[in-house]
Amino acid sequence: MTMHPTILLLEDEPLILIDLEFAAEDRGCNVLAATDIAKAMVHIQNSQRIDVAVLDVDLGGGTTCEPIAHKLDDMGVPYLLHSGNLNRKDETVQELGVRHIPKPADSSFVIEAALDTIDN
Amino acid sequence: MTDESEDVSAPPEAPQDAVRGARSPNFDPSPKAFRETRSKDRFTGASGVLFEQAMAQTRMAICLCDPSEKDVPIVFANRAFRDLTGYDDDEILGNNCRFLQGPETDRAQVAKIADAIEREDVVVVELLNYRKDGTSFWNALHMGPIYNEHGELIYFFGSQWNVSDVRAARAEETHAREMARELSHRMKNMFSVISGIVNITGRMRGIEKEAREINDRVQALARAYETTLDNASTGYIEIGPAIRAILDPYSSDESRLKVLGNGLRVPFSTVSGIGLSLHELAANATKHGAWSGDDGLVEVDWYQRDKDGIPHLLVEWRESGVQDVIEPTQSAGSGNTIIDRMIKYGGGKTVRDWHSDGLHVTITYPVGLTPAQ
Repeated sequence: MTMHPTILLLEDEPLILIDLEFAAEDRGCNVLAATDIAKAMVHIQNSQRIDVAVLDVDLGGGTTCEPIAHKLDDMGVPYLLHSGNLNRKDETVQELGVRHIPKPADSSFVIEAALDTIDN
Repeated sequence: MTDESEDVSAPPEAPQDAVRGARSPNFDPSPKAFRETRSKDRFTGASGVLFEQAMAQTRMAICLCDPSEKDVPIVFANRAFRDLTGYDDDEILGNNCRFLQGPETDRAQVAKIADAIEREDVVVVELLNYRKDGTSFWNALHMGPIYNEHGELIYFFGSQWNVSDVRAARAEETHAREMARELSHRMKNMFSVISGIVNITGRMRGIEKEAREINDRVQALARAYETTLDNASTGYIEIGPAIRAILDPYSSDESRLKVLGNGLRVPFSTVSGIGLSLHELAANATKHGAWSGDDGLVEVDWYQRDKDGIPHLLVEWRESGVQDVIEPTQSAGSGNTIIDRMIKYGGGKTVRDWHSDGLHVTITYPVGLTPAQ
């Protein structure tokens, strides 16, 4: 694994996003933070590389992280889902078939789990 | 064989009808009238009497339609049918069933009925029908062909049941389930935001370690509360799933945590005291106890016992396989202080026994209080 992996964080709740961002910085990550799909897309298009991502499933207003998840799938970028929504857990989460960490979870634990997916 | 000789079980008809009609306000003359006009279809003799009584007594609205006549008219409808729809026999007989339909009736369901009649098939649909007075009801309609002994189609049998209440209950249940999900989602999100605030504040103040400790407690409670959402409205919850949820993050190795307790319902207020206490015990076991070394084991059991006539929840925490059990000289550690106070304020008691291979803790907690408390 690279010393300073680039991690994309998609989370519509700013306080949770900041918390994840701090935890990622503590692990020496280069952080790309986004609160919605459009901002995440901009990051994806403008970045040289993305090593891993943490995606909140339910992004409010009925939108989910699915478009970004599929984009990352296409790019071969590993990611994990971070969500408190049972509903989405049944549908989107199972459909995407990647690791899911239910909220609330310790931010450093979430980042650790994300970085593990790069190692594997 | 004549009708009369077959009709052995039927008492003389005129007096019987007179008596029955006089006694029962629900007497239904339609079945008898129907079979008297339909000698060809064998609704005669004993089977005819059976038909007559069954049609008269059932609360299921039943009709027969004649496919040999133009537009498949209703040729028989029982009392329950008239009660359900509000129409009288002279308004029902000779008409196609569609007079029950109205502006809000789903055409797709009606098409299914027409299709089934066309194919001589059985169909079950739920459709909105209208009574004579214009009020609507949800009709669970079961319709299917009836054949005579020669295999010829003679009737379509229709049974209808008012399922308006069932549908309302179903809608209410769906709504309640959606609300519970939404509530669960918001609650988890709220706990996540709280965790975020604690972490961010801890980082800015340079007290990350303390912030972590606070968050561990907050998240343990969040996990426990999460399990109670399904049945919290009764004021009582299953303590088992809450205990399992608390200990879940510590039990990555299943061979080192044995959960022995079984189903037990306790007041909702029990969750925070017992939940937080178990979290502290688990955190201590990770730091100094059974889960600090390589082979330690924790067993957790719970059950109910009466003490002085008041039901108590007993939770037993048993550590074993610990190499160097060190009984703390002071009742040190904020974790132990939290356990002792929370249990004491709940009217309970905490007993610690330092065995040679690990700590045993028994928590006794009254659970006979009303849900309001």
